[in-house]
Amino acid sequence: MRTDRKNRPASSGEINFILPTVQTYQLSNGLKIYFSEKNDLPLIRINFLVNNGSRFDPDNLKGLTNLLAMCIDEGAGKYDALQLADEFEMLGAQFSVSSDPDLSVLSLQVLRENFIPALKLLASVITEPHLKENDFNREKRKVLVRLEQVKAEPDYVADISFEYFLFGSDSPYAFPVLGIEPTVQNIQIESVRILYQKNFSPFNASIVVVGNIDLKSLQTELDDVFGKWNGKTTIEEPLVNLKKSRRKVFIINKKDAVQTEIRTGHLSSKRSEKDFFQKQIMNLALGGQFSSRLNLNLREKSGYTYGIHSRFNYFKEAGYFEVSTSVDVENTTNALREIYSEINNIKDGITKEELEFAKSSLTKRYPANFETFRQIATNISSKIINNLPDNYFETYIERVNSVSLADVNKITLDSIHPAELTTVLVGDSNKILGQINKDEFGETVVLDYDDVFNN
Amino acid sequence: MNLLNIPNEKYKLPNGLEIILFQNNTLPFTAVNIWYKAGSANEIKGKTGLAHLFEHMMFQGSKNVPKEMHFRYIQEAGGTLNASTSFDRTNYFEKLPSNDLELALWLESDRMGFFLEALDQVKLDNQKSVVLNERLERYDNQPYGLAWEKIISNLYSENHPYNWPTIGHYKDIESYNLDDVRSFFQHYYSPSNSTVVIAGNFEVNKTKSLIEKYFGEIKNNGTPLALKSNSPSLEQLKFITSEDKVNLERIYLAWHSQNAFHTDDAALDILSDLLTGSKNARLTRKLVYELEIAQDVNTMQFSGKYGGHFMIVATAKPGKPLDEIKKIIMDEISILTEENISPRELERSKNVIKSNFIYSLQNIETIADMLNLYNFYLGEPNSFNFDLNRYNSVSENNISEVVKKYLQNNYVELRIVPERKNAN
Repeated sequence: MRTDRKNRPASSGEINFILPTVQTYQLSNGLKIYFSEKNDLPLIRINFLVNNGSRFDPDNLKGLTNLLAMCIDEGAGKYDALQLADEFEMLGAQFSVSSDPDLSVLSLQVLRENFIPALKLLASVITEPHLKENDFNREKRKVLVRLEQVKAEPDYVADISFEYFLFGSDSPYAFPVLGIEPTVQNIQIESVRILYQKNFSPFNASIVVVGNIDLKSLQTELDDVFGKWNGKTTIEEPLVNLKKSRRKVFIINKKDAVQTEIRTGHLSSKRSEKDFFQKQIMNLALGGQFSSRLNLNLREKSGYTYGIHSRFNYFKEAGYFEVSTSVDVENTTNALREIYSEINNIKDGITKEELEFAKSSLTKRYPANFETFRQIATNISSKIINNLPDNYFETYIERVNSVSLADVNKITLDSIHPAELTTVLVGDSNKILGQINKDEFGETVVLDYDDVFNN
Repeated sequence: MNLLNIPNEKYKLPNGLEIILFQNNTLPFTAVNIWYKAGSANEIKGKTGLAHLFEHMMFQGSKNVPKEMHFRYIQEAGGTLNASTSFDRTNYFEKLPSNDLELALWLESDRMGFFLEALDQVKLDNQKSVVLNERLERYDNQPYGLAWEKIISNLYSENHPYNWPTIGHYKDIESYNLDDVRSFFQHYYSPSNSTVVIAGNFEVNKTKSLIEKYFGEIKNNGTPLALKSNSPSLEQLKFITSEDKVNLERIYLAWHSQNAFHTDDAALDILSDLLTGSKNARLTRKLVYELEIAQDVNTMQFSGKYGGHFMIVATAKPGKPLDEIKKIIMDEISILTEENISPRELERSKNVIKSNFIYSLQNIETIADMLNLYNFYLGEPNSFNFDLNRYNSVSENNISEVVKKYLQNNYVELRIVPERKNAN
């Protein structure tokens, strides 16, 4: 007998999923611990979060926090830079340091059997880094060369220029985490050491631990390595200015580029429990997944691009809405017209089908966000960074399901502003300008990447 | 190691479709992972990139699944999905909440058995345009983006199946027609040329009957013959310099090495790790830390079914000559032929590799793909321990042996340099 294939097979019952539990406590020096026990594999993952991102960089020292993050593991305790890397590797541990506009994160993944020595190394990096001048100078030279190198990367140029024009030079979020050439030149080892003293403090950090260990043993180990660590009890938070923008197109010329990188968007409110889910659902319909309006239009219908995405990007003190893609140069303005048109159309509201799809996708996928040690650590970290309620994980599905179509469409009206779109096109300006009808996109400026930060 | 023992059941349907089941009910998700034993190596000149284009077409719907609905059904069910094409194979994979496993089987079987009924020119033209843009975005418009293509086309001879890139040449992508797509499907997408892995949370007996229900009636189109390919060799040294939109010069050195899972393959992987796997690795320490003449240096042992190559890549700091970097690299190679590496260096690499095996077990999709990979190359899906032991059994002496055996032969040297500025 032939199989009936006409219709989608029905799901079989409901799945059973238990969310990981998170225990929290504080060391006597103020350091906050978030712990989730997970025993299916003999490994442990740590995210050490420090409230120390590029938003702290002073105007003349953009790139400072990144340099601190780069230098912090260049020698600590009894090991120099190369010995330290070697020690982590001998333990089979994966250790890395990263920094973004809000945070520096030191992360460690290690087998249970090597946890204690790896934790000691991590703690040594955090509490007793050498921050030596010769290491600093080498890392600074590395950054300066990197800044030269990224000028050739169209996606980097587009991302960085977009954020700069979006926020405007007054905002600490305007500048790349790497910094820019003249300000990186200014940075001296002394500033790095001062920043370390100011922001690397138990009062300004949290540890997320996920893994194969019990709470009591973990407490003993963490007490042992972090218990005596002390630091400043008050942190000076930088001021964040935000202003509205008006519609403007910046073309960053890259002669003979075969594609144009497109970024368009505007500032948006920072993450808030009042509108987060509504914006997320709207964004799924607009450009947040494969069968979104933008992707179906620009990729699956028009073939202008390999892919297009929209998102709300949230920082601690700011947020923005962004559409990003890259298209063959001949279709630059065709693509831009369609993007603007989809952004305008979303203000008319999403459909009931789009709402149901988004809810179904978000809620049914939720358990799979807690599969790996890394995912769990990342989710807990996100809860800390965004200051989310204690029961955030437990109430997530219920909260997504409670969003109504009217809610989404009201929030969409409040949070999408076509008249404020800042657009960055990185591509061949002659070819792009030739496609634009006069005044079609409002004010249009052409410039070289080297001139972006002089604007 | 007990953890790395992944017990599974392997069997075949009468139409030749191979099935591998690995049950682990710890979490409520199920991964489905299919390997079709066809990749860009199976293409012919003038139609390069067809295997990859075909991968795109498989998401364009089939007899009972309208265009765009493949993604939509899986995402709506809370699943994630994708596919990839390499020289040797094309894989398709999804992970879903376990109560929707049947959905995945329905979708995968519909496109395995009833793809051609839904194929049309509009879909093909659309995906050609998407793939051309993928090529532009990921290769042509990326700094150093064409390096891989230049290396393999010089390293592997014209008639070797690794001579062209998986994405395909631009002109070839433009040239595909419906007959090309049909014939590729009929040739390579037979159930007898593919393996379905189901891993994670499911009921064994029920799943077996669902597999029979959805895949059992698909016709066996015959199994293509394996490619005939001689071991590649390079008659002479090749030096290529190419200008690109970059600001830093970069040098690539590539030697023929060995196929995947050949006895020397693991030693070459370890060699790669001890040259550039960490800050303290030999070349990184010298070039990036001590001399500061390179911004970065990387190595890789690429290995496939029909060949392999070992590659060293270094980016020069501004004003630092590539010749100087090359000399350091060649000196290091020469040292490795004369002196054994230290026991500590070897232990370090082995510790990293062992840990990585265990880290990789976190994700059921990775396990599913590895089962398919081991089955494809070794004929035995449960080869995690075998694979780890390949690395554990490498000795200090093996490292200098592979250096002598491969890195003293002819090589391809590619230099990517900044475009000379035209006056304008």
